[in-house]
Amino acid sequence: MNAAWVVFRKELRETLRDRRTLTVMVAVPILLYPVLLIATEQFALLGMRRIESVVSNVAVSGPASEDVIEFLAADEDLDLVDVDDPVEAVRSDLVGAVAVFGPAPAGRSSQRATVLYDAADEGSQRARSVLADALRSWDDSLLARRLVEEGLPPNFVEPLALADSSVARAEELGGYTLGRFLPMLLIIMTLLGTFYPAIDMAAGEKERGTLETLLTAPVPPREIVVGKFLAVALIGVVAAALNLMSMLLTFQTGLFQFGGSLDIDFALPWASVLIIFATLIPLAVLFGSLFLGIALRSRSFKEAQTSLTPVYLLVLVPALLPVFPGITFTVALAAVPVAGLGIFFRELMSGSPALLPSIVAIATTGLWAWAALAFATASFGREDVLFGAGDGRVESGGGLLERLHRLLGPMSSTPNATQATGFIAAVAVLFFYLGFPLQAGWGERGLLVSEWMLLLVPALLFVRVAGFDVRSTFSLRRPRGRQIAGALLLIVGAMPLGWFLAWAQGFVLPVPWDMLEGLEDLITAESPSRLLWLVTLLALTPAICEEAVFRGVFLAGMRGGASPIRVALINGVVFGAFHISFESAFRFLPTAWLGFILAWAVLSTRSIWVGILMHFVNNGSIVVMSSIPALRAWLEAGGEAPPWVLLAPALLSAGVGVRLLAAGPHDQEIEPDHSETESDYKMTESKPDHPSTEPDGEVTVSVDPSR
Amino acid sequence: MIEFQNLTKTYGGIRAVGGLSLVVQPGEVYALIGPNGAGKTTALRCLATLLAPTSGTAFVGDADVRKQPLVARARIGFLAASMGLYERLTPVELLRYFGQLHRMEGPALDERVDELVRVFGITPFMSQRCGTLSTGQAQRVSVARALIHDPPALILDESTMGLDVLSGEVIYRFIEAERERGKAILFSTHHMSEVDLLADRVGVLSGGCLVAEGTPASLLETTGESNLARAFLALVRGVVPALPTVPGVGDALPEQAF
Repeated sequence: MNAAWVVFRKELRETLRDRRTLTVMVAVPILLYPVLLIATEQFALLGMRRIESVVSNVAVSGPASEDVIEFLAADEDLDLVDVDDPVEAVRSDLVGAVAVFGPAPAGRSSQRATVLYDAADEGSQRARSVLADALRSWDDSLLARRLVEEGLPPNFVEPLALADSSVARAEELGGYTLGRFLPMLLIIMTLLGTFYPAIDMAAGEKERGTLETLLTAPVPPREIVVGKFLAVALIGVVAAALNLMSMLLTFQTGLFQFGGSLDIDFALPWASVLIIFATLIPLAVLFGSLFLGIALRSRSFKEAQTSLTPVYLLVLVPALLPVFPGITFTVALAAVPVAGLGIFFRELMSGSPALLPSIVAIATTGLWAWAALAFATASFGREDVLFGAGDGRVESGGGLLERLHRLLGPMSSTPNATQATGFIAAVAVLFFYLGFPLQAGWGERGLLVSEWMLLLVPALLFVRVAGFDVRSTFSLRRPRGRQIAGALLLIVGAMPLGWFLAWAQGFVLPVPWDMLEGLEDLITAESPSRLLWLVTLLALTPAICEEAVFRGVFLAGMRGGASPIRVALINGVVFGAFHISFESAFRFLPTAWLGFILAWAVLSTRSIWVGILMHFVNNGSIVVMSSIPALRAWLEAGGEAPPWVLLAPALLSAGVGVRLLAAGPHDQEIEPDHSETESDYKMTESKPDHPSTEPDGEVTVSVDPSR
Repeated sequence: MIEFQNLTKTYGGIRAVGGLSLVVQPGEVYALIGPNGAGKTTALRCLATLLAPTSGTAFVGDADVRKQPLVARARIGFLAASMGLYERLTPVELLRYFGQLHRMEGPALDERVDELVRVFGITPFMSQRCGTLSTGQAQRVSVARALIHDPPALILDESTMGLDVLSGEVIYRFIEAERERGKAILFSTHHMSEVDLLADRVGVLSGGCLVAEGTPASLLETTGESNLARAFLALVRGVVPALPTVPGVGDALPEQAF
């Protein structure tokens, strides 16, 4: 019998005996959820009926005609009360609303009347509504009388009788209504369905000490993960399915009265339901694997709950997206994890979703799920994740610097992937909360400050505090002449190619012309002094600050092990993601391309100076080209498309540049890798008596092999 | 049957086990003792393939734990201080689960489960969930779990920790019985009485290195102490120089172990 199947069956059996999971998976959708839904509706209806059954106290103030007072007095839903001070009467709840009439009209001109009410009081709102309706009725009857007196037909004042009629069938309206909130609910239920089982199967297993015995069984970790994630995913899908069924049945029982009154049929076609179930599977795999991988890094159930809560909240954001109006099902949105599938569900419930975005949504969810699964599998294969780095050493005390050192983990001369990723995440948060407000408030000066203070300074501090080697981390190696020539040729070729990429992207993503025009204004200089300032702000500053972060710290963390192309691709994607704005993701591809090129060049030469030079040339030439009218006119002559004449020389230049850089020496390694052998061992030599404790708490002293 | 060959394990820059070499023969009970943090758990985890040695290796039979971890795992029964029982499974379900993970199935598995249930007196509580068992009952299930595939080598990592005398007795009888059946047994402990009672040979770990090895009687003789606890203290405090018979000890022992 396959071990994954054995693990799957056992996990399922255990989970089905877990009260917590059963509550979330079965009790909530089957019992609590419909009960809550119906109870809420009943309470709302009850409240409305109660309000409607109450006769509203109202008053009339000002020079109202006897006619209107008699008309209002005859209304059974109104009780006319005399008041002296209309405002005070409403405030003190003596009356719900007061009709305050303006000066009496001369002849047949209009008289103005204002209904005074308390918008913060339900009874007053009801009184206002009834009083206003009564006044409109009186108004209509008066108009009718006048038309008769003039010998005019009733339709004289209504030359166009406007009416609307929806062609949507009841079930279509039901699908549309369900599509507004059910996708979000399905995603949340899948999330909840996988949340506790994933924690229980990873951190829970660690906490109970069963993981150790499980891993001594002759089964590859991959099979254990597959068994576990299959169980988690199945539970997530079942939870969502139960919820969907429960919701549809609740609507269809007739107990839910809002639908009936609006002529809505909350039935979904079976084909749609089946497609939703099928596409929930990769989503459940994504959640299950992601949660398993993260929960495995925790030592206890409680710690895993704490670790996963931010992830849970983070997932809720894209899950909410289908709820908002104006969110259209584009290819770009379809590729966003969770959100893409959520919008696909919405479109499916409302009618026929567009084919291409649907395919993209399903395919990318599958890809995300695969990536999450790879992450979980990798976690299961790592002993530092399973048993903790340093065998669960317990350390305490020390100064702030020492604590930070410990927090960052065992040190080698350069950051590892986790540390570098953590740093990038911290910089992103810093930039989001401080950089955007700075730029919004101070404009160009804000941009300058945020580049230097929120990118370069954190990078330097990170390396200093963690005690990494500055030279190795920032690749401070002087490039050779041939490498400089190669870098220049590569960037000169890469720039037009980036332009072609951006142009091609325009066929898929809408081009944000307003944003581009604003950007063009920003980078265009009208005077030499302005040009100097723009080159400093937009070329020199990013060339130093962004390179320190992306081709310095981040690249140093990612370059161990993986191929240079893959590392450069990751670097480019992250660099591109940093350049996505609130308005559009349009800048992602060109900047990701630039990031990829820069990262590859720095990896090839082991010199950040090459990256700085290329970044400066790229940004600087854009500023210069924008500021020279003749050059700008030539470049823009082709409209949106770049001049095709540039393609061949660009390819040639980039090709020669790549050759020159690739021929560069790879043998001058300036830092060791991140494995725990050589580099870490050297750290031990430099700090031979660094104390630590082993799992059972006893202090031991690291061994200096040189003694 | 069990052999460590110059095994070293470091965590980051810290060496937990340094150049450990020892052999446990079939039918032999070997006690690994040492102060907290001496590297006992790390060494046993390397043998159980839970951790990868930084250098050197260990063998279970002819299976190298680095090159053939799955073969090595199939040959060991691992019993840790935490009993490692799934609380929502019954003892029988648990035994069947681990049996299946060891590729056992059909009548062979049924017979093996029945045998262990009978031998370890699990029958009265075989249908209860493990989470409801007493410590003694759980310990018996845990031992049965380690033996489900009848492994030729057994690793016990402080498996009597926190147990009362009666529960500990289950483990003692189990070790003795398995020795009679020719199993190689390597166990770590802090209780010298257990060493005295069970061990054919003893290895003393300190600062990740094997500083002494021999029969309990030979350790007493070398240290000149009257009991194993005193002998142990003398060895780990460096009162007695490292025994020359232990290869590599002289050059691997840290100067400032304590």
